[in-house]
Amino acid sequence: MNRPDHSTFQEWLNLDADGRLAPEERARLEQHLAGCEECRLEREELAAFQGLFERSAVPVRSDFADSVMAALPHAGWEGRSPRTWQFPVAVAAMLMLVAGFLIAGSTSGAAPSGLAALDAMGGMVRAAALAGAGLLGASWKGIGLIVEDVISSPVSLGAFGFLVLCLNLLLVSLVRRRKPAAAAASLARGGRETDGGR
Amino acid sequence: MTRGMEQATDEDLVAAVLRGDRDRFGDLIERYQGRLVNYLFRLLRNADDAHDLAQEVLVKVYQVLDRYDPQYKFSTWLFRVAQNAAIDQIRRRRLKLVSLRQEDEEGEGRDWDLPSPERGPYGDLRNQERGGAIQEAIDALPWEYRELILLRHFGELPYEEIARLKEMPLGTVKNKLFRGRQMLKEKLRDFLSD
Repeated sequence: MNRPDHSTFQEWLNLDADGRLAPEERARLEQHLAGCEECRLEREELAAFQGLFERSAVPVRSDFADSVMAALPHAGWEGRSPRTWQFPVAVAAMLMLVAGFLIAGSTSGAAPSGLAALDAMGGMVRAAALAGAGLLGASWKGIGLIVEDVISSPVSLGAFGFLVLCLNLLLVSLVRRRKPAAAAASLARGGRETDGGR
Repeated sequence: MTRGMEQATDEDLVAAVLRGDRDRFGDLIERYQGRLVNYLFRLLRNADDAHDLAQEVLVKVYQVLDRYDPQYKFSTWLFRVAQNAAIDQIRRRRLKLVSLRQEDEEGEGRDWDLPSPERGPYGDLRNQERGGAIQEAIDALPWEYRELILLRHFGELPYEEIARLKEMPLGTVKNKLFRGRQMLKEKLRDFLSD
């Protein structure tokens, strides 16, 4: 291995001050320090340097943490946090279960059993899904009728095509305008800000 | 084994906050307030502004906490938000980063408020002189060195986090910190024996 020069030892002193020096290098540094007054002085200065920063630290206000906590607004994600959802979800599940028991009881005439309640709940979910699917189908059918109406006449088809073209041009111009502005802003801000550390 | 929140990592605390335990955010604040305020103080050169901006940063981080990716260090994210917020504020207020003194209309200098923990908020002369010298020396550094020195010495971020935050190779971070310190040491030599 090559013998490190004096400037390397000075770099090592800096790394050592940050606890970043490998044990082997540290041993060689200690060996060097034993015979080098200049590097010993450098080490003392580095320690003093860190101490200087520590002594000049600004004290944090005693009520700082409390004032931040008091200033915290309701964040958007709080509504989605599990703890917030636990209670309403539990209540909804319980209500569904009770409703299931009641429906099962009223339809069978006999004492409601757990299985019948589950069956009734399944029936409710099936009915809701069917209703949703029906609504979706109806809306698509409605759109289909409008499109059919538009393409049936050449004039309305031309007008519709012109409208689509204008909207596309508008979209392209907006994207073009936003791109350089966003790039400049990102460059000026030195990268992403609240991207979760990525 | 259950781990107490005193030993919890930042990532554990964030997860607890996201589960609805709002008070754990207070633990994160306690953990970072000193570093954050001092880091911002060195950028803004005013203790009140540093406190106000630190509060803004923490509130902002809380609002988007669900976007935090635990694969990365919380501190890296926090200081990135803080640095961007400080740069925005400096731009807005058109702070002059070169001079420590601000000239008033009569042309007389006014000292920036500098810390002096030993004796009240604005302390004794030597502290003020020392604080001023540190600020002056930091301000005189080229930005590429200054930002790393501030992140290392006041943000107390390890090399790897600085490298990630600045999107620089680790070797470049080590090299720039070494050079930055050499420059600072030259300027602060008179105060090293205090």
